[in-house]
Amino acid sequence: MQNVITFVEHKGDQTRKVTFELASEARRIADALGGKAHAVVVGAGSQAIAETLKTYPLDVIHISEDGDVDTYLLDPAVDYLEAVAKSVGPALILIPNTLAGRDIAGRVAARLEAGLMSDATNVKVEGGKPACVSPKLGGTSITTCAFKNSDYGVMTVRPNSFTAAAGGAGAHIVPIEKPAGKSYVMVIEHESEEVSGELGLEEAPAVVAGGRGMGGPEPFNDLLRPLAEVLGGTVGASRAAADAGWVPYSLQIGQTGKTISPNLYIAVGISGAIQHKVGMRTAGTIVAINKDASVPIGEFADLLVVGDLFAIVPELTKQLRATVHA
Amino acid sequence: MKIVVTVKLVPDTNAEKRIDPATKRLVRAGVETVINPFDEYAIEAALQLREKVGGDTTVTVMTLGPESGKEVVRKALSMGADDAVLVSDAGFEGSDVWVTGRALAAALKKHGFDLVITGGLAEDGNSGGVTGALAEHLGVPGLTNAAKIEIADGKLRVERETDSGHQTVTAPLPAVLMVTMAVGEPRYASLKGIMGAKKKTIAIFGAGDLELEGPIGTDGAKTELLEIAAPAVRGKGQIVTAEDGPAGAKIIFDFLKERKLI
Repeated sequence: MQNVITFVEHKGDQTRKVTFELASEARRIADALGGKAHAVVVGAGSQAIAETLKTYPLDVIHISEDGDVDTYLLDPAVDYLEAVAKSVGPALILIPNTLAGRDIAGRVAARLEAGLMSDATNVKVEGGKPACVSPKLGGTSITTCAFKNSDYGVMTVRPNSFTAAAGGAGAHIVPIEKPAGKSYVMVIEHESEEVSGELGLEEAPAVVAGGRGMGGPEPFNDLLRPLAEVLGGTVGASRAAADAGWVPYSLQIGQTGKTISPNLYIAVGISGAIQHKVGMRTAGTIVAINKDASVPIGEFADLLVVGDLFAIVPELTKQLRATVHA
Repeated sequence: MKIVVTVKLVPDTNAEKRIDPATKRLVRAGVETVINPFDEYAIEAALQLREKVGGDTTVTVMTLGPESGKEVVRKALSMGADDAVLVSDAGFEGSDVWVTGRALAAALKKHGFDLVITGGLAEDGNSGGVTGALAEHLGVPGLTNAAKIEIADGKLRVERETDSGHQTVTAPLPAVLMVTMAVGEPRYASLKGIMGAKKKTIAIFGAGDLELEGPIGTDGAKTELLEIAAPAVRGKGQIVTAEDGPAGAKIIFDFLKERKLI
């Protein structure tokens, strides 16, 4: 297993920061293994994405503009990734740990008879073999795992785990031949974008999350969103807020929701029970605002401000705005 | 229609979990084993479909685990599933996603199915890879993150949650379907359900009962655990009381500035 292949998630010519994080990391691992760094981009917009990716230190970018990738769920993308993996030879495959990424990873691992590791936050190379460092059991244990009995290994990688470092090696862009003899049955009939234009929760550098203390859906829009915007981040929520129907479950952070590692996490009106903690404990800095000084989040937040969130949040947004525009 | 729900038996979500450094396995002693909480939503989705589709639709719960798992599986039966299959063999110990996927696929082939429902992420391993593995090994469509499910004319119509919104996808049966919590809160077992569950069948499939090629358990696994460590402890930070909004805002503002976050 000496090569590294990173699978690129994108919507048309738009991609996410994690793409560049993985491209940079692929280079580092490939160098340590003595192999080459590849990327796979399929579906409409691949060419444009590949041009952007060329400014990152990859050796080969494999692309296909095949419309089937956007018409049919999952299968064409898995076929293309499999085809590249087989042509490249023994390889570690890096895939973003997102909803879409996990689907691709599960399928391609089975297809290539490869081991599957999920939610890597670091990749080590020891004795010429890659090892996956990943928090497990709700973050209560950090495991290091290696692959065995296979030429391939598949890893999903948590966004925000690596630094994206441009620096082009002038990668070759090569088209992937369409896999022959395939027919597809999972048809995407309709697609709606509800959070388009915003960063995904997993890769936002700053997340402002609200909990039970928000008291209803409106403060998420009126209070938290402006604060998140001025910080260049996005809005999240605790399970209590999602269960109450104030926000969609897609914003939920914690054991039954998303696990995130932003640089800055601001918990507003969230008590920080263990179920929530496991979803955000790896954030760089944690700030909490709560009316109660004895909430569990006080045990692990870097700063807990005890006070009225409805008074503090708008004022904080105002002060931050003044700085940004100064 | 034959619906099979695959569930994972995991240590109680709320219990303190510990890994034995010698065996590198989870210490299960003293920790209650439960159905992976996400998988209870899969059972709920299956029961709803049985009510909707009607006819001779049956719901079978299937799991891979030790024979002691029988008692846990009873809970699924008391929720209303018709019967259960426990895939159990000492040889499966140390299995990873690769071996588990193949074993469950073989058991599903033996049992027969029109629709397999899974419950997304597992509390303990968190890989979420079994759904895709089953689809691959069974050679059927595999759809994940289903929030709403309709079945008509042998076809599935599913509303899926995506990273950025929703998506409607159709696929023919048989298929594998992973559901999200949006399918609805898992029902509680009624007293009648609990009594009835005692009479329901739990079939046991050993490794020898399944058409499985290649090694299983630790020998067959494609991954191995090298090391397990406790995470860096996050220390207690400052706790400051704010007199009013502007004062609270200033405390945070100064803190963010000091940490060079703004």
